[in-house]
Amino acid sequence: MVLLQPDPFLNELTSMYERNKEKGSVWVTLKRSPLASKVKMNKMKAAGEAIEYRCLVRATDGKRNISTSLSAKDHQRFQASYATLLKAHMDALKKEGAQRQEENHRWREETSGFEEAQPWQVLIGSKHVCERISFDFLKTFHFVVLPP
Amino acid sequence: MVYIKSWDEFMERSIQMFRANPESSRYVMKYRHCDGKLVLKVTDNLECLKFKTDQAQDAKRMEKLNNIFFTLMARGPEADITEASTKEPAEQQPSKKGRGRRQ
Repeated sequence: MVLLQPDPFLNELTSMYERNKEKGSVWVTLKRSPLASKVKMNKMKAAGEAIEYRCLVRATDGKRNISTSLSAKDHQRFQASYATLLKAHMDALKKEGAQRQEENHRWREETSGFEEAQPWQVLIGSKHVCERISFDFLKTFHFVVLPP
Repeated sequence: MVYIKSWDEFMERSIQMFRANPESSRYVMKYRHCDGKLVLKVTDNLECLKFKTDQAQDAKRMEKLNNIFFTLMARGPEADITEASTKEPAEQQPSKKGRGRRQ
């Protein structure tokens, strides 16, 4: 485990994300830690000393481990750059509109040909389709069969 | 272990868990680019909360949770997180206007 300064850590994390683009996962762990051994902690507690906790940040891709620790002072600067870094690399997630676009596409496929529907026709459709068809259009059907 | 479906529930319970047990809690984020999947996990070694998503929208929510956990871990479990949790919209406004460097 390599303990780095916050900025080199971010650089390393960037290249870790780059390396695992085609395959692989990256884990980032946050933990509150005093960075001292249990024995030392107990001694300090016994002596009534205040224990300085830091935020330990660790990252791994299963092959390499890197880590850094943040004090109360520098966590704010770090979290801003960290957020920017994540935003830049998490671009494989689906965009908000993507789902809706997909739905629209499916709807268009499912309803294609309905324009020429004749009044005596029976519409057997998914609930998904019927929810999106106007009432006027539905009226042109004698029967509409919906799934339960 | 089951995944928690609701983001709000996940966030609330994970913060609660950390506050109840700050020494042994950890927050893990796993991102898999090739599958476009993001998994968040918070555990105190007794109980484990997980949240899985493939939506970019949830990455934005995660940013907020990241800020909360950074604050809680660096400043202590009693730290005020209202700033961290409401900071996001407040921060976006000046970034639109300000072109110069901010500290």
